[in-house]
Amino acid sequence: MSTLLEVSGVSVTFDGFRAINNLSFQIGEAEMRAVIGPNGAGKTTFMDIVTGKTRPDEGRVIWGEKSISLLGMNEARIAQEGIGRKFQKPTVFEEQTVQENLLMALKKPRGWFAVLTYRPSDADLAKVDDLAAQIGLTDQLTRTSGELSHGQKQWLEIGMLLAQEPRLLLVDEPAAGMTPAEREHTTDILVEAAKTRAVVVVEHDMEFVRRLNCKVTVLHEGAVLAEGSLDHVTADQNVIDVYLER
Amino acid sequence: MQRSFIAKNPSVLIFLAILALFTLLVTVMSEGFGVGGISTSFIKTLGKTLCLCLIALAMDLIWGYTGILSLGHFAFFGLGGYMIGMWLMYERTRLIVVDSLANAEIPPTDGEVIDAIGNQIFGVVGSSDFPLIWAFADSLTIQLALVLLVPGLLALIFGWLAFRSRVTGVYLSILTQAMTLALALYLFQNDSGLRGNNGLSGLQNLPGVTASQDYVSLWFFWASAAALGAGYVLCAWLVSGKFGSVIRGIRDNEARARFLGYSVETYKLVIFTLTACIAAIAGALYYPQAGIINPAEIAPIASIYLAVWVAIGGRGRLYGAVIGAAFVSLLSTWFTGGQAPDVNLGFYTIKWVDWWLVLLGLSFVLVTLFAPKGIGGLIDILSDRRAAKEASQ
Repeated sequence: MSTLLEVSGVSVTFDGFRAINNLSFQIGEAEMRAVIGPNGAGKTTFMDIVTGKTRPDEGRVIWGEKSISLLGMNEARIAQEGIGRKFQKPTVFEEQTVQENLLMALKKPRGWFAVLTYRPSDADLAKVDDLAAQIGLTDQLTRTSGELSHGQKQWLEIGMLLAQEPRLLLVDEPAAGMTPAEREHTTDILVEAAKTRAVVVVEHDMEFVRRLNCKVTVLHEGAVLAEGSLDHVTADQNVIDVYLER
Repeated sequence: MQRSFIAKNPSVLIFLAILALFTLLVTVMSEGFGVGGISTSFIKTLGKTLCLCLIALAMDLIWGYTGILSLGHFAFFGLGGYMIGMWLMYERTRLIVVDSLANAEIPPTDGEVIDAIGNQIFGVVGSSDFPLIWAFADSLTIQLALVLLVPGLLALIFGWLAFRSRVTGVYLSILTQAMTLALALYLFQNDSGLRGNNGLSGLQNLPGVTASQDYVSLWFFWASAAALGAGYVLCAWLVSGKFGSVIRGIRDNEARARFLGYSVETYKLVIFTLTACIAAIAGALYYPQAGIINPAEIAPIASIYLAVWVAIGGRGRLYGAVIGAAFVSLLSTWFTGGQAPDVNLGFYTIKWVDWWLVLLGLSFVLVTLFAPKGIGGLIDILSDRRAAKEASQ
């Protein structure tokens, strides 16, 4: 399996605090990966680096078969390269309808002039309908997304990411604040998405990670502590120590 | 789900109809073409008000829709006025000079004519040489182009620097205030080339036109109405499509827009520059009706008033901006023009010329606290009620 994203030897320091310490991470195409770790392990900072929000002090972030470096690109450019990011808190455009949110996310030219002259084609609208069906919001298309429930907003945001047709999806705690039934639906959406693209899920709910049934990377103090199946990492003495310490 | 532009923007047709009706009514009541119920000076006031409505639209686009509280758009308004003012003043002075030298025994040379014009225009600041920036003042075409180019370029450079460094929120507002203050202070200088604090005057006289102000005022009134109508349609078109979705997205959640792949800085720059150009057109129509422009017009307070109009009218809805600008600026004219009757409280007499600003400030605070959607919000309530009624039937 070819490598889609390769992060190697990355370090970043905030005011003397080493948030990420010589971190290396790889993910292939069509792979699901869970990243777990205690608070402050550097999970969110890791995402910030990959999506261009934070610039590392050292290290490399290499993307795709052409092996281009993501460092030095801005967030919008990286997103256009095919990396989608879901935030911890559901972030959708609350004053706009579900349909408008999805239309905005559809993979189309992002330049201002192209957007100015854009009119949704029937194919685009059909695609939006498909996405809405996938995330279970078919009946909510014309609703203002601010009126949706917490779980529905989370799905809408995932739907917007899927609409972008990214090759890599970074998902930050998708199940936070969800009911058990909603969690199950979220798992299904993510597992389905991982069939055709790489998905990285940051989570500290072990039960949810178990259900994803995928390779797990454990972060601790900004570096990889262990990697492997969930059973493998939970048996690891270092991991047990870190989690029991708390 | 695909709807036409008009179906998405029912306010456009209503607005254009009201504007057309208003224009017709004023024309019929005018002294130039109608029965003469409205004085020429009041027609100028109305025409100027339409220009203020146009810049309020620009303000709504950048503040209400994109979420950038620019407190410097009157700089662009003023620059637009200066650019057209240069031609008006030059050409009119030239005609007067040529006229007065026509009967001279020796026909004047071109150099003498230019010198005489320079003397007339720059005498007040103790100079007679044309500064470099007047190089194109003899060409109406070029000065009209400069109405857009100069403010547009200033906005482009300023915006590029500010947005590239991701200056947002109140910091950006302060920067825009600094920009308009710096420009005003520069223009106040006598050697700025634009006659310092005297500004440009006599702009109400169109060179070579012998028609009386009764007619000229109406021409500008019509032009202002046409510009406002066109501006309204343009703004409605901009905000109703996907572009509108994106800029509102930037307003509500900049990070989300960025991670969706939209270059937030570019969009902000486009909107900033575009609204600067709209403001410039409004200014270029306003000052020939005002007759005079001086640097005090672009003092920081002017741009703050603009924000107050849009807030009172209701930002994020185009008609709100128009209502706010028309309502507040006309009231302001009434109160500060000495027409409002003084209120005698016995121990104190409220003179509105002094107290109008207090009233305005108070209403701004009240609107912000209790009716954040402004006057336009009332229209929303009414139309929502009607929609609910139709839905229940």
